[in-house]
Amino acid sequence: MMNPFRSRRREAELDEEIESHLKMAERDRVERGQRDNEAHDEARREFGNVGVVKEVTREIWGWGSLEKLGQDLRYAARTLVKNKAFTAVAVLSIALGVGANTAIFSVINAVMLKSLPVKNPQELVVVGSTTSVGSVSQGGPRKDLYSNQFFQKFRERQQMFSDVYATGRSEALNVSRQRENGQDASNPGDTRGRFVSGNFFEMLGVRALIGRTITPEDDRVAGGSPVTVMGYGYWERDFARDPSIVGKNLVINGSSFTVIGVTPREFFGDIVGRPTDLWFPLTMQAQANPGHDYAKDSSTSWLLMMGRLKPDVSMKQAEAGVNVIAPGIFTELFRPTQSPEDLAAIVKQHVPVSGGARGFSRLRASFSGPLLMLMGIVGLILLICCANVANLQLARAVSRGREMGLRVALGAGRPRLIRQLLTESFALSLVGGAAGLILAAWGSRLLIRLVSGDGPLQLEPRLDVWVLIFTAGISIVAGLLFGLAPAWRATRMDVVSSLKESKSGQADGFTRAFGKMLIVAQIVFSLIVVVAAGLFIRTLRNLENVDVGYRRAGLLLVRVDPPGAGYNDATINELARGLIEKLQAVPGVEGVSVSENGLFSGTNSASDAKVEGHPPTGADDQQNDSDRVGPNYFAVTGSPILEGRGFGLQDNESTPKVAVVNERFARYYFPSANPLGRHITFNSDGSDGKPPVPFEIVGVVRDVKELDLREPVARRFYTPYLQHQEFDPLYSANLEIRTNMPSAALSKAVRQAIHEFNASLPIWSVETADELIDDTLVQEHMIAKLSSFFGALALILAAIGIYGVMSYITARRTAEIGIRLALGAERSSVMGMVLKDTLQLVAVGLLVGVFASVLTAKLFAGTLFGLGVFDPVTISVAAGVITVAATLAAYWPALRAARVSPTVALRYE
Amino acid sequence: MANNKEQTKYQNQIELLQGTLDLLVLQTLQWGPQHGYGIANAIRANSGDILRVETGSLYPALHRLERRGWLKAEWRITESAQRAKYYRLSAAGKKQLASERNRWEQVVSAIAGVLNPAGEASS
Repeated sequence: MMNPFRSRRREAELDEEIESHLKMAERDRVERGQRDNEAHDEARREFGNVGVVKEVTREIWGWGSLEKLGQDLRYAARTLVKNKAFTAVAVLSIALGVGANTAIFSVINAVMLKSLPVKNPQELVVVGSTTSVGSVSQGGPRKDLYSNQFFQKFRERQQMFSDVYATGRSEALNVSRQRENGQDASNPGDTRGRFVSGNFFEMLGVRALIGRTITPEDDRVAGGSPVTVMGYGYWERDFARDPSIVGKNLVINGSSFTVIGVTPREFFGDIVGRPTDLWFPLTMQAQANPGHDYAKDSSTSWLLMMGRLKPDVSMKQAEAGVNVIAPGIFTELFRPTQSPEDLAAIVKQHVPVSGGARGFSRLRASFSGPLLMLMGIVGLILLICCANVANLQLARAVSRGREMGLRVALGAGRPRLIRQLLTESFALSLVGGAAGLILAAWGSRLLIRLVSGDGPLQLEPRLDVWVLIFTAGISIVAGLLFGLAPAWRATRMDVVSSLKESKSGQADGFTRAFGKMLIVAQIVFSLIVVVAAGLFIRTLRNLENVDVGYRRAGLLLVRVDPPGAGYNDATINELARGLIEKLQAVPGVEGVSVSENGLFSGTNSASDAKVEGHPPTGADDQQNDSDRVGPNYFAVTGSPILEGRGFGLQDNESTPKVAVVNERFARYYFPSANPLGRHITFNSDGSDGKPPVPFEIVGVVRDVKELDLREPVARRFYTPYLQHQEFDPLYSANLEIRTNMPSAALSKAVRQAIHEFNASLPIWSVETADELIDDTLVQEHMIAKLSSFFGALALILAAIGIYGVMSYITARRTAEIGIRLALGAERSSVMGMVLKDTLQLVAVGLLVGVFASVLTAKLFAGTLFGLGVFDPVTISVAAGVITVAATLAAYWPALRAARVSPTVALRYE
Repeated sequence: MANNKEQTKYQNQIELLQGTLDLLVLQTLQWGPQHGYGIANAIRANSGDILRVETGSLYPALHRLERRGWLKAEWRITESAQRAKYYRLSAAGKKQLASERNRWEQVVSAIAGVLNPAGEASS
């Protein structure tokens, strides 16, 4: 039927059928004795109008479903173009709703759903952690992060995978390009490197765009192959896609590396949200990160592992297989350094195995929750949009009553009319959806910028098939949602009454009730969204106002890399003293100290220690957070010493070892006794042959938040920086600088001073304490920003909806209002009547909404801080805002009602 | 415009004849395959020249019955060597004919009942 060829054939057959009819009639007449031309004419006269017969016969064939759809679409397009204002408002509404949903979904798609752009990603399996992409851990083994030694043994022994690769983080990279005329330094520290085993590219099936990739040959001899492969993004950003870069040398942290190739644009690496700039062979780690040799022994865990399943091996089998060989490797590697009990505990650990198609990502775990939450919020917004369009359609359905009546009278069936109206809705939702898609393409970029600046989330949310399917899907669902009820209403009529009905048309009970229901629903949805926004904003405020235990303002934190400049155990204190002295002299600096971890640097240490007078009671009993801090550390950071004293310059290599503990430590170990004068002794494995030295507690300091604003402070003790002389490969140094100057101005002077002190000392970061603390609130900022934005959007959309419905209802009541006014009602009371109507609906909506919002808040209760799911302040503010918005929205319709002239209104009927 | 008017006229006639014409066509084809011209002639002849079927009604009816699956159509050569589209009853068409006849008889007897009420005199 839809086949034009078939319909043309049918046309020809009809012609022939009629032609043969005429010929047979003519022949009969000739046989009866008529003359030829007479018979010809008479046969035709008797037959009638050939064209009309053909036409009415053709009608019987009916329209093919596609032809019918075409007809409906043409009709819909005509109607929509005719009602420009309606169409514009409806399309805008849908575009906003669909756009917001598509934008969030495309980010969800990129972060949570998409497979890596590599060969057969579904065969990839992650052994161990899928999230610890930037982690390195020193000391005992971990079940989820591995040493070079573990990886080599594992790769040799495993049988489940066709191959396994390893990938590990890099310290900051300072890249400069060798030029004939010297060196041209690029931005230090923002280049992201990864170390990969030689089979990485081969296993993923990634070929170089130009040049070649790293091969197993490059990964054979430690320090033997100074090569690097460049990511497309970095190549574009810093090298303007210069193809001659291949073969050139880059000086990276002081060593020369040859660029051997550039990867294709779509390959961002195996880490979602953090595109890799430079890949190096695993064997080059110590050269690219001078002073930090991770491969030295098996105590450094830093590698992630990815395997490719053999064709006949299932994930379950792989997991079982991994856990058969892992204990043996752990035992071999750690028997020399770990106690038998610790070793037994290590061996018992289960190594997790999970699907690797979506790659590694630190973001996925932390952003999934917030993204799903936002998806829920924009889902509610789409519902509000649908309610708006449904309202508009409904109002129009009533005014189209006569048109519908006429069409029914002309023989159109109800299903046909419903289909016609739904086609109109779908046409609307398709146009709106297309506009939404454009909005989303732009919006998702904005979204990611809004979320993270240049920060943690670096994605290119492309419009792929899934996003398009999603958009089409929600557009269609939206079309059904806002089209079905109005279509039902518009066609539910009795022909005679609809034709008799006056042009103005009375809003019937159904329409009014439905319209009011939609308003209530919109109030409920917007209250949920606005309350959620309020809760997130207040959570952020609470977090920002957390008492961290030190003076955040005027505190500058500098992170440097002493091993990167060749400092070692013997020279590290010399560096610390020198830097402190140098920085003290910078104008505007009031005090300087140094620490191993410091405040919000992202690193932490934990140590097992025996506390004098406290017999150990369990496994965690001796485990405490610890830090090594310099002279005047507590004075510089502004943490009050509660008892005893802090550290001074006198606490150094040649004086008795001392310690300061925090309140929690003091309360835990000495609930009733005075901690001062007691001793802490580090648990030593005795491998270095030196007897453990006790540290005497000389002070108690306030509990201080050093890592995270949400978590309660753990037990912690501090020892003097200058009383330690052995540092591990992870070591970096943090400088704390107290100032009374604006930090932006000071940070330049500080960089300058460090450079003057030792030009080769890498500076990893110079940031204020406020900045560092704020960095930990990225998600909270994102949720608060986006949910406020969407809250405002929900409010505006709901207000438009209320305005529309109230305008419509009051317009339909013009006559009634006219009579009231004619009977002497005050104009103000008419206005009051309309406003009262609105506020009644708002009250119902708010009542339902409060319950709904508390139930909804339970879904994200875990992300709230310092308040519960039922927060009276938030709820009353949200309810107030919505009431004001609704009143404003109803104000114009009310005013118009009050201005009705009785005479005009009565004539109106 | 004139064209349109005529079309409306035919449509009305289809409306009026519908059902009845279907029955007549199905009945005519009971005796074997026939083309449109033949069907029209047969109805006229069998009705003693009273029922004249308009082509504007006949052809839509034939196509409608074919579409419903009650008739099957095929092209054949007539005795006078003319290619023509022949219609014949399908199995479903035979059933339909039986039920239409049945209904027709009910209508006739109902109308007869109205025209000659049995108890008219007594009541």
